[in-house]
Amino acid sequence: MLDLIELGLFVALLTIGFFAGAIVEKQHYESIRKREREYADVLTFAVRFPPDRVTPQRAFLVHGTVVISSDYFKTFVAGLRNLFGGRVRSYETLMERARREALLRLKHDARRQGARLVICVRFETTTISTGWVASIEVFAFGTALIPERDAAPAIAPVLTPPAIPAV
Amino acid sequence: MKFENRLPAEGINASHENPLIELAWLLAGSLGAVTILVIAVSFAAQWIAPRIPYRYEAKLAATLPSFATAPDDESGRRVQSELQSLADRLAVHIGMPEGMKVRVGYRDQNTVNAFATIGGQMVLFRGLLSKLESEDALAMVMAHELAHLKYRHVSAALGRGVAVGIILSVVSADLGGNAAGTALSTAGLATLLSFNRDQEREADTAALRAINAEYGHVGGALDLFDVFSKAAGVDRATGVANIEFFRTHPLTENRTMAIRQWALANGAVVDGKRRPLPDAVAALGVHTKTPG
Repeated sequence: MLDLIELGLFVALLTIGFFAGAIVEKQHYESIRKREREYADVLTFAVRFPPDRVTPQRAFLVHGTVVISSDYFKTFVAGLRNLFGGRVRSYETLMERARREALLRLKHDARRQGARLVICVRFETTTISTGWVASIEVFAFGTALIPERDAAPAIAPVLTPPAIPAV
Repeated sequence: MKFENRLPAEGINASHENPLIELAWLLAGSLGAVTILVIAVSFAAQWIAPRIPYRYEAKLAATLPSFATAPDDESGRRVQSELQSLADRLAVHIGMPEGMKVRVGYRDQNTVNAFATIGGQMVLFRGLLSKLESEDALAMVMAHELAHLKYRHVSAALGRGVAVGIILSVVSADLGGNAAGTALSTAGLATLLSFNRDQEREADTAALRAINAEYGHVGGALDLFDVFSKAAGVDRATGVANIEFFRTHPLTENRTMAIRQWALANGAVVDGKRRPLPDAVAALGVHTKTPG
């Protein structure tokens, strides 16, 4: 009888995890895609040096950080995946969402401070174990640059804003 | 150099296939793997356990409460001592493993059954004893259980139970721990030890050889299965009690047939003069058969 209750609880948690997780993920992806278009004017690069080394720049650190939790379903599937090896698909979407969200927050931080260019963008990841379902933290940071002589025109010839397809 | 930002590509870093498909594959795979593992380990343990010297089993049995007990009264003690002396006589014919001392227990319960268990012990229930009419039939039961002990069927079943429990504990600590614990606990030893058909056949054959040597015929064996068939018939009609014996020792019809075949092949007589039950055991039958 107790075993049956335990099994029922497990199935319930799995079901809740699956549906809630799927809804949350879908909404998050929609929000990410929407904001990626909104923040398209803030350019981010992994290069270590400014593309325009002639114009004097003001430089400062910007960052974005996000903590995302796995759900019961994802964790269970990943646990089973540990037995066999292979792509942990259930965590791939989790990590991708976290990285894209962190980058968006970095862009937000940059734009808030008047910068349209961030270079040397790096990511750090931390796993936060909360007992039975893991969470991850993704931290994105980079160097925001603002040309000394009034921002935008100076970098405009060098940097082309992306061609954004119509939604 | 021209620098630009493009929108992240979709579907490269994360797959958007339905996670339920992955779950289904993983579940099927892991259940299959566990099943194969459990079967393999169960066979391995069943093979290895009887090959472990008996003294280790005796040591393990010593840590558990004894099964070879009887009701603490005059009649209980007498029944137990009569059963013990019959077991000792039959053990000579069966040929017990080195160091195994057979100990017989008696339970004052209606259950129509007998079982062999760890440490060379066997237990007979009043329900079974009261239905027997000759020492020959009683000897068949005891010889059968002695044969289970001789061939170490008990260790095989016990080894299987513990090994499966250990494997399951890898999957689920609670479930596995329970299974291993149950296999080793007193309740598990009495109820969960089940022997397969080959083991039952092996035990029957050894028992027939023993009672043929002791009594010069195997009539007792036929009597015994007669008793079971009748008891089952009565039982189904009244629906009062279940015959435990059938749950642990199936196929009575086939076994009656097998007895006749064995007798034919080995030149044994299937009928002969029956010896009366020992006094105290006989008294159990008289008592229960009195109507009212």
